[in-house]
Amino acid sequence: MIGKEFIGRESESVVLKIRLEEVRRFAEGVGIPFNGEVPVTYVGTLLQANIPGFDLSNPGMIHGEQKITYRRPLSVGDSLTYKRRIKDVYERTSKLGKIMLVVVETTGSDLAGELVFTSSSTLITPIQGETNEKSE
Amino acid sequence: MKNQNKCQVSDQAPIREWVPSDVQIRQFAEASGNFNPIHLDDDYARQVGLGGMVAHGMLTMGQLEAMLRKWIGKESRISKLDVRFKQVVRPGDMITFGGSIRTHLGNVFVCDIEASNNKNEKVLSGMAYIMQK
Repeated sequence: MIGKEFIGRESESVVLKIRLEEVRRFAEGVGIPFNGEVPVTYVGTLLQANIPGFDLSNPGMIHGEQKITYRRPLSVGDSLTYKRRIKDVYERTSKLGKIMLVVVETTGSDLAGELVFTSSSTLITPIQGETNEKSE
Repeated sequence: MKNQNKCQVSDQAPIREWVPSDVQIRQFAEASGNFNPIHLDDDYARQVGLGGMVAHGMLTMGQLEAMLRKWIGKESRISKLDVRFKQVVRPGDMITFGGSIRTHLGNVFVCDIEASNNKNEKVLSGMAYIMQK
């Protein structure tokens, strides 16, 4: 189970080239008419930068919030580096019982080191044994 | 909102309706590389307490982007998109997206956005910054 000791843990930097075919496939998968612009939600696909010990498919984990901010638009052909970092881990009591919230931040920079985007995901996991039993 | 000079605060985005299907969720898993089984395996999703398969949050957020892009045209871009997922979205749900302009700051329009399902539950709410190019 993930806990506060994960705060600050980060991935290696991953080099990424924004490729036309991948962007097109993403836009078509979502249903965004593709006109050559990179969808702002494309950064949600940047999952290859592994944070040691942290798995996106923790059983029952769901997506609670997503915040994406661009300093400048991304274009097809751009080269970037990105990395992911665990920004916060905290518990809260909700209508589902006790839950754990994990904030994972992805930042992308151009090859000159200038920040291009920040994308922050809040992931919610029920804490085992604390959730209300669901009747089927 | 194609020409922001003529745009009024409280202008409404065109409503977008969307019904996710198993096929589209599978396509999105492939296009995004997110193969979490809660999106692909109904039995698994039940076992972990979700009551069945759910669509990717990022797929729902992508529909919102599609609505915004249609609204703002090519002369503007989205510089910020913040959302909270309030309710899971399942294959077959009818999701309705809407938005309106709250205010503007220089060349940036601040928009409120939301989406509801056919049970009148809010599934998503948030805000977007739309910047004139």
